[in-house]
Amino acid sequence: MNAAPVASHSCTATILLNISSATGLLLYRPCVFCNAVLQIIIKNNLSKNEGVFTAEYKSEPPSVRRNKSSIRDILLGTKNLFLNFKYITAAIFMLLLLFFCNAETIAQEGSANKLVINFKNMVGDQLLKTDSVYTNPFGETFTVRTFKYYISNIVLSDDVTGEKQFYNNQYFLVDEDDSTSKKIELNTTLNSITSVNFLLGVDSLKNVSGIQTGNLDPAKGMFWTWNTGYVMAKLEGYSPVAKTPQHAFSYHVGGYKKNEQTVRQISLVLPQKLKCENAIIQLTVQANILAWFNAINAIKIGDMAFCHQPGILAVKLADNYSKMFNVVH
Amino acid sequence: MKLITTILIFFTLFVVGVSWVANTSRTHSIIFVVPKGWPQPVYDFKQNPLTQEGFDLGKKLFYDGRLSKDGNFPCASCHQQFAAFATYDHNLSHGFNNSFTKRNAPSLFNLAWQKEFMWDGGINHLDLQPLAPITDTNEMAETITNVLNKLKKDTAYKRMFKAAFGDENISTQRMTKALSQFVVMMVSANSKYDRVMRGEDSFNLPQRLGYEIFERKCVSCHTEPLFTDLSYRNTGLATDDYLNDIGRMKITNDANDSLKFKVPSLRNAAVTAPYGHDGRFASLLRVMMFYNSGVVNAATTDSLVKHGISLSNYEIGQLTAFIYTLTDSSFLKDPRFASPGYESRTQQVPPDHIH
Repeated sequence: MNAAPVASHSCTATILLNISSATGLLLYRPCVFCNAVLQIIIKNNLSKNEGVFTAEYKSEPPSVRRNKSSIRDILLGTKNLFLNFKYITAAIFMLLLLFFCNAETIAQEGSANKLVINFKNMVGDQLLKTDSVYTNPFGETFTVRTFKYYISNIVLSDDVTGEKQFYNNQYFLVDEDDSTSKKIELNTTLNSITSVNFLLGVDSLKNVSGIQTGNLDPAKGMFWTWNTGYVMAKLEGYSPVAKTPQHAFSYHVGGYKKNEQTVRQISLVLPQKLKCENAIIQLTVQANILAWFNAINAIKIGDMAFCHQPGILAVKLADNYSKMFNVVH
Repeated sequence: MKLITTILIFFTLFVVGVSWVANTSRTHSIIFVVPKGWPQPVYDFKQNPLTQEGFDLGKKLFYDGRLSKDGNFPCASCHQQFAAFATYDHNLSHGFNNSFTKRNAPSLFNLAWQKEFMWDGGINHLDLQPLAPITDTNEMAETITNVLNKLKKDTAYKRMFKAAFGDENISTQRMTKALSQFVVMMVSANSKYDRVMRGEDSFNLPQRLGYEIFERKCVSCHTEPLFTDLSYRNTGLATDDYLNDIGRMKITNDANDSLKFKVPSLRNAAVTAPYGHDGRFASLLRVMMFYNSGVVNAATTDSLVKHGISLSNYEIGQLTAFIYTLTDSSFLKDPRFASPGYESRTQQVPPDHIH
């Protein structure tokens, strides 16, 4: 996320370094743009030393060349002054550029630690495996084929100091089938973290703001095209008690309108204060699938094997999954 | 020499900077013209600035069968320009694998003023609209990912996405925004009615009498200038026991919305037969006969029509004459919206004589 500003920062710094040392050596690998600027500087330094015109000058008509060399003659006496002037100007220019473009980013980068939230999908106290058979609280056996959910608007809090860090407009899709999706990485400047808050689902604003990209791309399959809205969470599998073809059950839970709201605010208080001392801090959040069946409302696969639209069942499932998370260090 | 070098460096920086900025906007803007006296559009053009490049891309997509599973069903297969982008002479349209759609294909124009789409208003943004027909199994039956993969294999698309959006990246968002740019430009506001309103033309006697009847008996739902108030109403159509379409209730889960459908625009109605959400009325005459004597007074039937709208044969004739004045032949033959490669063909047809 912050890769681009950081790159331009180090790149601008590279130019500064090179200009001030005037060695023309590439100490770092700058971007193409800065490299081009450097090449001009180096080239002109060399051409001055060797007493020849640069390639650009060679192609110009003699009259122009004469004109330019006469200016050069006039300035010859104050060459050193201008040499210094040039580098100082360039340095100031670059510094200003650096300041205006990257001041904020640098401030953030300076003391940021990286928090990694590891999502572990569980069935009871067992780690979810898509080839295992489980039993829900009603004695119904089932296997899980798909398990996905959106995590958004994360807030990290240090309840001791009252400091909070917000990650608005960041949407993560945790997908059982994609191990990288189960690690959410956040840069934090907090000294310690005592609680983690987030939305399970996609806030209503993003449901009414047209087409989105990234994790919110409708191509991710977590979107209802015929009745606009995101599927906040999806649980699919098979159970012998499901009265459907192939005994498949599928719970696609979505809905953002009044009375159909399926986004749930999740607040997790850490068992003990997490100190942000290391560059990388780990945190594990467990999501227990069994909560979907009976955390608040009883949902039996044998009674209701599918949910494919906003409404009463979706809200009941949402109430259940609001209780599926717990946090361990 | 040193000064020149310095100047050169800064000049180069400046040129590079300017060209970089210019590069990102080397597109040709299109101005969306709001017809005089019309309300402001609801479509947010700031989120999707119209450009010729985006429009051209949208047009190519609109007419490209690859957006469907077997290549046979471009958007244009159900949305034909000569039928004001409805399906000509079909109550229901044909989709993938010899299937029928469940509803009559709506005409496409003046979409910039619509907040919700489909007969039931289930889709809340124009940019999201194409995803429904593309993925519906009885329409284009394709997945979004497959469509994007097909487009990515085509160098012409790479070039056009770059021209429209700055680089070759082909995404869902860019695809549907380009489609929006194409369809949002479809403005129909140049019918005889519009010319009369602008003082450039005048109604003949049956048209004028028809307009007076319209003003008394139809205008509360078919509000000018869009000729729809975009509300959802149950006009008292008997439920089709095969389709069993509950309409707006499918979206809201609210029994009060049972059997309600969006009020269709009367603009270009003369060329969009058949009529009704399931295309059950083959002609304007049948629609008006239904209002005269066929309305079913059910729980959610609209109070404005629950006792029917009495129309004599004279009035039906005069109303028909008026509805014909809403046909915008300059829109139906606008080469900008014609199939790529067929633009000149539409131009050759003499304008203004669709009826």
